[in-house]
Amino acid sequence: MTSSQTPASSTFQTLRRYISWNTDHKVIGIQYLVTTFTFFLIGGALAMVMRTELSQPGVDLLNGAEYNRFMTNHGSVMLFLWIIPVFSGFANFMLPIMIGAKDMAFPRLNAASFWLIPPAGVIMLTSFFVGAADAGWTAYVPLSIQSADGQSLWAVSVILLGTSSIMGAINFVTTTVTMRAPGITIWRLPLFVWAMMATALLVIMATPVLTAGLVLVALDRLAGTLFFSVEAGGNPILWQNIFWFYSHPAVYIMVLPGMGIVSEIFPVFSRKPIFGYKMIALSSMAISVLGLTVWAHHMFTSGLDPRLRVPYMITSMVIAVPTGVKIFSWLATIWDGKIRLQTPMLFALGFISMFLIGGITGIFLASIPIDIHVHDTYFVVAHLHFVLFGGAVSAVYAGLYYWFPKITGRMYDENLGKLHFLMNFLGTNLSYLPMFLAGLLGMPRRVADYAPEFQPLNLLATMGAALLASSTLPFLYNAIVSWAKGPRASANPWQGLTLEWSVSSPPPPHNFEHTPAVEYGPYDYGQPRQLEQPASAAAD
Amino acid sequence: MSQAPQEREHSASSGRLGYGGVFLLLALVTALEVWLGSVGVLRSVRTAFFLVLSLFKAGMVAAYYMHLRTDSRLYAYILVAPAILLFVFSIIAAVP
Amino acid sequence: MTTHSVEHSDEFRAGRELGLNHVKLGMWLFLASEVMFFGGLISSFLHYKLNNPSLESGLLDVLLVGGNTFVLLTSSYTVVMALAAARTGNTAGLVRNLLLTAVLGAAFLAGQGYEFASLIREGMTPTSSVFGSSFFTLTGFHGLHVLVGLLWALRNLAKALRGGFGEGRALGVEIFGLYWHFVDIVWIVLFTVIYLI
Repeated sequence: MTSSQTPASSTFQTLRRYISWNTDHKVIGIQYLVTTFTFFLIGGALAMVMRTELSQPGVDLLNGAEYNRFMTNHGSVMLFLWIIPVFSGFANFMLPIMIGAKDMAFPRLNAASFWLIPPAGVIMLTSFFVGAADAGWTAYVPLSIQSADGQSLWAVSVILLGTSSIMGAINFVTTTVTMRAPGITIWRLPLFVWAMMATALLVIMATPVLTAGLVLVALDRLAGTLFFSVEAGGNPILWQNIFWFYSHPAVYIMVLPGMGIVSEIFPVFSRKPIFGYKMIALSSMAISVLGLTVWAHHMFTSGLDPRLRVPYMITSMVIAVPTGVKIFSWLATIWDGKIRLQTPMLFALGFISMFLIGGITGIFLASIPIDIHVHDTYFVVAHLHFVLFGGAVSAVYAGLYYWFPKITGRMYDENLGKLHFLMNFLGTNLSYLPMFLAGLLGMPRRVADYAPEFQPLNLLATMGAALLASSTLPFLYNAIVSWAKGPRASANPWQGLTLEWSVSSPPPPHNFEHTPAVEYGPYDYGQPRQLEQPASAAAD
Repeated sequence: MSQAPQEREHSASSGRLGYGGVFLLLALVTALEVWLGSVGVLRSVRTAFFLVLSLFKAGMVAAYYMHLRTDSRLYAYILVAPAILLFVFSIIAAVP
Repeated sequence: MTTHSVEHSDEFRAGRELGLNHVKLGMWLFLASEVMFFGGLISSFLHYKLNNPSLESGLLDVLLVGGNTFVLLTSSYTVVMALAAARTGNTAGLVRNLLLTAVLGAAFLAGQGYEFASLIREGMTPTSSVFGSSFFTLTGFHGLHVLVGLLWALRNLAKALRGGFGEGRALGVEIFGLYWHFVDIVWIVLFTVIYLI
C-alpha cells in the first residue's frame, strides 16, 4: 500500500498516518521534512517583517524591543527548528535504505525524537504571548536572565530540541554500525552516510554541553540560582564558553549533511565516479573533530585573555583545509563529466558557489584583527547567511528535488524547479551581498534603526528578501501538486547507484524483499560489470 | 543476548581480581581518599593524588564492572573520547 | 549495485560480526552524551570553585559523604553480582542483588537528603551564593540520575520476579548495569571535585 493510491478515503488514511505515532523510518522522515519546512516558512516570515522594518532607517513597523524578539525567534526557529532537524528527516528516510537495512536500530526512539519537535516549536512560538525571548539566539547573560518570561520557554524549547537531536544521532550511529547489509563495508558507505556519522559525533559530544548551560540559565531565571548573577560573582564569559562550545560545532551539524547530499548528487548528474571518495569521507570526520576546537573565535572581542585567542585563530583557519578538499574533489568529479543540469544539480552547483563565498569570508573572520573590526556588524550576518542559506538550504533543496521521486513516487515539474532555482539564486545574492559592504562600512547587526547612509544597501537586501520569499511559491506549488498528481516516478529516474534507487518509488514497507548483498561501491559508474535489474524497477 | 562469552560468567570476572576483589580495592581507595581529605597534606600534592586515585577508581569500575576489559574496544573509545574532551574543556572554561 | 540477495536474515549481523550488540552500543553512545552533560555542569562548578572560592566549602562533611560514596560503590558491586546471577539463570541471586541495589540506592539518596538538609540549615542554599548554586545543581542532577536508576532497578526487580530474565536473556540487566555503573563513576568524579580537592 503506497502513498500513491488514489481514492479520496485512502488519501485521508494516508494523511492520518503522517500525523500519528508511527515507527516506520520512512514515515518519520516525511514527518521531519514537512514539519521542519513549515518552521522554515515561519522563520522566513519573521525575517520578512524584519527586512520590511529595515528597508528604511527609523523605527516604523517594529520598535527596538519588538525587533529583538523577531530577530531572536527568526534565528532560533531557523537554526533549531529547521536546518538542524531537516537533515534528520533526510537521514531517517534514506540512511537505512542506503545501507540495506529495513529500518533504524531503535524505531520507537526514532518516533520519540520526531515527536519532541512539534511541541518544542509550539513552546518557542507561543512565547510571543508572554513576552518572547529577545536576547538573540545566543542568549548572552546577564541579559537573558533578565528577559521576559518567553526566554524561559525558549530555554525549555531548545532543551527539548537538543534532546531530540541527541536521540536521533544515537540512532543513526547505531544503525550504521550494526545494520549494514553484507558487502556494505566502511569504504562502500555512501558519502551521505559518512556525513551523517560525522554530524552525529558532533551532536553527541557538543549538544549536551548546551543543555547543561540552558539548565543553568533556566535555574537562574526560575529558581533564583546565581550562576550568571554579576553581583554574586557570576561570570558571563562562562556562558559564552558553554554556549559556543556547542554552537560552533552546531554550524557543522548544519552543513555536513548538506555536503553529504551534494556528494551524492555530483556523481549521478555527471555520470562519473566521485573523485576522492576516501578524502571526502575523511574530511567530514576531520571537520567534525576540528570543529570542536574552534569555538572561541566567536569570543575574540569578549574580553577573553588575548593570549588565548591565537590558538583559535589557527584552528579556525586550519578547518578550511578539509573543506577545500571537498570542494576540489567535487569540481574534479564533475570535470569532463556528462553533466545534466536538472534541478538537483543546479542547487548542488549553487551550493558550491554560495558556500565558497560564505566559507572564504569565514576565513576573514577567523583572523583576529579583521574580526575585531567586523564583529557584530552586517559582515557577519552576510557570512552566516551565505553559508547557511546559500549553502545549507541550497543543499536541502537539492536533496528535496533529488529524492522527491523516491519519497513520493511522483516526479516534480522540472521547469518549475528551474524557476525556483533561478529566483532562489538571484534572491540569495541580492539579499546578502550588500550586507558584506554594509558591515565593512560599519553597520551594526541586531538593530532596528540605522544611519541613513546604509539605506541603499538595506533596500537592496529587502528586495532580495522579497524575491526569496516569492521563490518559495513555485517550490510549494510544485511539491504539493506533483505529490498529489504528478507523473509516476520509476525506481531509478536519475540512474543512481546507491541502494535507494534499487527499490521502488516509494520503497516497499520493509525497503527490501530480501537483504541485499552488495559487491560494488556507490559511485562505480563506467565499471565493466553486469548489473542485475531489480525486480520492481521499470526499465530506464 | 549478551556479548560476554559463557566461560567468563562462572568465575566472577576475568582476570585475577574477581568482582569482589575489585570492590575491596575500591573501598580501600575510598577510605584512603577520605583519610587524605582530613589530613593536612600540602594542597597541590593532595590534589594530584586525588585525581590519580579517582581516575583509578573510575577505571576499575569501567574496566571490570562495565566489562570494558573484555568487550569491543569501540565502547571504550566511546567513553574515553568525551571524557578527554570534557577534561580539556573544563580547563579552558576555568580561566577567569 | 546488488548482484544477488541473501535470505531475509538477522538485521544486526554487521554489528555482531564486529562484536557489538546494538542495544549496548546505543547505551554507550547515550552515556557519552551524559559525560558531556555532566561535563558542562562540572566545568561550571570548577570555574567558580577556582575563581570564586567560598567559605561555604568548609561546611561540607567529607566523612559523611565518604560513607555515602561507599554505599554507592557497594551498590555497583551488587549490580554486577546481579548480572552474574542473571547470566547463570540464578533468579534468586538476581532478585536478591537487585533488591540490595535498590536499598543501597535509596540509602544514598537518603544520605544526600540529610546532607542537603543540614547544609540548608547552616545557610547554604541553591540561592545563597554561586558556590551554593553550583553545588546543589551538580549534586542534585546526579541525585536525579540515581533516582531514575532506582526506579529502573525496581522495574527490573519486578520483571525478575516474573521470570523475565534468564540464561541468555540477561541483556536488560546488563544495560541497566551500564547506566548504574556510569552514575557511580560520575559520583567518583564529583566526590573528588567537590569534596576532596
